[in-house]
Amino acid sequence: MSPVVLNLFGAAVMPWLVVGGINRTRSLWTGRRGPPILQSLYDVVRLLRKTPVYSTTTTAVFRLGPWVGLAAVLASVGLVPVLGLPPMVAFPFDFVVFAAFWGLGRAVLILGALDTGSSFEGMGAAREATFSTILEPALLLTVGALGAVTGDHTLAGALRIDPTSASAAVAWLVSVVALTVIVLAEGARLPVDDPATHLELTMVHEVMVLDHSGPELAAIQTASGLKLALGVSLLATLLSPLGRSEHEAAVVGVHLLLCGGIVVAIGTMESLIARLQFRIVPRYLMVAVIAGAIALLATTWQGAPQ
Amino acid sequence: MTLLLIAAGFLIAGAFLTFLPRRHPAVMAIASQAIASALTVYAILPVLLRGEVWDATWVLGFPLDVVDTHADALSAFFLVWSLPLTLLGTIYAAGYLKLSIAHGRHGAQHFALLNVVSLSFLIIYTAQNALVFLLGWELAAIAAWLLVIWEYRNQKVRFAGFNYLVSTHVGLFALVAALMFLHGQTGSMDLRSFSAFLAVPSSGRNIVFCLLALSFALKSAFFPVHSWLPRAHAAAPAHVSALMSGVIHKAGLYAFLRFTLLLGVPEEWMGWAVLAFGTASAVFGAVYAASQHDLKRLIGYSSTENVGIAAMGFGLAYLGMAWHTPALVAIGIAGGALHLVNHAATKCLLFYTAGAVHTATHCVDLRRLGGLLRSLPATGALMLGGVLAISGLPPLNGFVSEFVLYAGLFGGGGHSALANVALVATGALLAFVAAVGTFAMLRAFGLAFLGSPRDPSLHVGPEVGGTMLLPMALHGVAIVALGLMPVAVLGSMGPLLALFGAAGSLGVVTSAVAPVQLGSRVLVVLLATLCAGGWFFGRNARRHVTWGCGYPSGTSRMQYTGSSFSEQLIRMLATLLPQHSRIKLSKRIFPRGPGHVELHVPDAVEGRIFEVLGRGEDLFVRTAAAVPEEPRFAFAAGLGVVLVLIAALLARAS
Repeated sequence: MSPVVLNLFGAAVMPWLVVGGINRTRSLWTGRRGPPILQSLYDVVRLLRKTPVYSTTTTAVFRLGPWVGLAAVLASVGLVPVLGLPPMVAFPFDFVVFAAFWGLGRAVLILGALDTGSSFEGMGAAREATFSTILEPALLLTVGALGAVTGDHTLAGALRIDPTSASAAVAWLVSVVALTVIVLAEGARLPVDDPATHLELTMVHEVMVLDHSGPELAAIQTASGLKLALGVSLLATLLSPLGRSEHEAAVVGVHLLLCGGIVVAIGTMESLIARLQFRIVPRYLMVAVIAGAIALLATTWQGAPQ
Repeated sequence: MTLLLIAAGFLIAGAFLTFLPRRHPAVMAIASQAIASALTVYAILPVLLRGEVWDATWVLGFPLDVVDTHADALSAFFLVWSLPLTLLGTIYAAGYLKLSIAHGRHGAQHFALLNVVSLSFLIIYTAQNALVFLLGWELAAIAAWLLVIWEYRNQKVRFAGFNYLVSTHVGLFALVAALMFLHGQTGSMDLRSFSAFLAVPSSGRNIVFCLLALSFALKSAFFPVHSWLPRAHAAAPAHVSALMSGVIHKAGLYAFLRFTLLLGVPEEWMGWAVLAFGTASAVFGAVYAASQHDLKRLIGYSSTENVGIAAMGFGLAYLGMAWHTPALVAIGIAGGALHLVNHAATKCLLFYTAGAVHTATHCVDLRRLGGLLRSLPATGALMLGGVLAISGLPPLNGFVSEFVLYAGLFGGGGHSALANVALVATGALLAFVAAVGTFAMLRAFGLAFLGSPRDPSLHVGPEVGGTMLLPMALHGVAIVALGLMPVAVLGSMGPLLALFGAAGSLGVVTSAVAPVQLGSRVLVVLLATLCAGGWFFGRNARRHVTWGCGYPSGTSRMQYTGSSFSEQLIRMLATLLPQHSRIKLSKRIFPRGPGHVELHVPDAVEGRIFEVLGRGEDLFVRTAAAVPEEPRFAFAAGLGVVLVLIAALLARAS
């Protein structure tokens, strides 16, 4: 099969499996059997059949926001090695485009939240916008540093770093830390945001979508599941021990194993720790920036790649 | 060149004709500017696209003697959008000032001054003689000042205007000092002849560079001399803010590039300095924009942010020239220049929409506005476009120019590993700027246009008229077109890059941007498909009040406010953004009477500058007080020694 088809297939399947896998892990840790793995897909299908309810305060911004957000995340699929294979498109500095697509998705979600006029949703929007001022530089710093180490400035290429030399190993190690922080925060998971919380005051992502219902909520949940799946894929690409030109089946197999491992790790982590205080979150996110800075400084040890 | 002279003639004639009685003063201004813009664009296009160079010499009397004018791709690049955008601003002004003029204000001077602004562009962008250049420079400054103080009966407006006038003339002193120095070295007032002195590295060249940079930084409102800008822009009529911010102050960056051409190969420290000050401006502009309550002040701070981003590109170009890497020069110049155009298109749009908000509500205070999208749908939609564009989000224009700059910063074009580290770190700072800028703009739009009205006493008028909507709509078309066809725009920059010795590297830029253009178009298709589908899903939707999380009696006063939205960010950046708060809250468990909370973020940079100046004044006063009233022998002797020392130093220096 051509890589394009495989990538699209991965993007269609992974979100449900990742979300379902995390939920299943959490259930097992709490001694329950938990919902079916594909429950989130069933939820989306059920939501799509419903008639939405719009707040009387809202405008077209609220109504179209979720679809714009979904389109932005869908557009970013093309740049990600979803199954560990080369992505559909790769060009130098595509990670900037990737970050901008996610930024657009976040922006319309924030606008949609503000459109409801609810103070709770405004609060979530403010938190999301504030955290993004750390997350975006952290992402570009980390991938930019990896690009400086590898000399490959594409998203997929920079993440396929070969940690053989000492400096590359340091850069690899700290960027795993940075990317983990970024992926978990962008995917609205613990310890920044708890998707299972029931108190609006302590939510970030969930509180912003309180008023969305029916198909719009389905679009938002699809987009956020896809975001998480893409993030996990990026992390797995960074962790993958296989180099650039391996046997395709082996690459995909290792990649899927790593994704599974990450999913279980996220579920375990979410079962064992509590959400951070919001006061602490910026400091926690700064870990990603500092890790990215260390990765960047590591490039000076080996000299500039020619 | 003759066509440009005719255009100038039309502008001057139009300026006088606005004073004709019994006619709307805008008609003549718009007509003359339309003709002048058409002539200029028609005349200048061959220069812009094919890199022709026009030189013309006008023999005049004392004190100018022979005046040389010179139009190359750099002049053309700035001329081609400056005049049409001023024309749009004048059309907008006709609508914006309609009420004042209907109430008996005499608008003729105002429209005549808008013509003068256009005229000053023709002078500044083609002058080859330093005195003529200064003339145009001063013409623009004075005209802008007079335009700012349209509401001169308001003391705050007069103060803001005076503040601008003083600031711009501090910059003028630096510029005059630099030009006098150059005249002293070369004995000529011709800009080209300065190049003989400027092309050779020397301490004199460094001094001139710093003076010029200070002057141009003041003109374009760079950190740390930006504080006049938000003040002036909050006081001026919307179209004046738009033109100053979007068009007039780009003259500072034009002059910077013009002198860059004379500089030959700049030294590396100059590049780092430009990059550092550009980055600092971008960071400070963005974080201050994120904390403002006044919509126009907020948009004004965003101008400092965006000229900073453009200057980052020019800093890259300086480094590229110092390192002899034409690819970096091409990326820096093309990225910076594209960002200038993008900023001009977007910033004018934002100020126009802010003006429309002001026209409809007589208020630009984000603490009182809310839910305007229902009453001002066209303005709101256009502002949403402008907000997304200036935030650098695809598929609109701001994204492309920022991408080009990222390509330069992350590309590893530095000549040492440390240089590359600095460039990548600057790239991360640019991402921070973009994220904070997005924060600021989403906050502004969300507070003013979304949600429900915050202040019931605020009367919201009808949507603004066609004369105001037309320029806004054209700007809206421009931001979409620039976003979807950036390769064509960048492709026309060949002659401009050739001036900087990077003609061969145009392909580096266009080939880097080509996939981005494709990506933006794919995104547009996806957006259109999904939004159409989504709209279909919602056709039978029911309506209900916003979910109040179990609290049934919420009011619109309980919405998240601007202060609460930026509270966490301000606390995170407390070192850059010291916050002043006035809080009066009851300490009782069941409070009686209303409480009061007011949070302000004053410009700490300006405060710090005045603090330092004040300390210097104190020192001066104390020293002066220490001088005895009747000069005694010791004092006289000391003065004599100092004079001899100064004379000796001067003698050694020369």
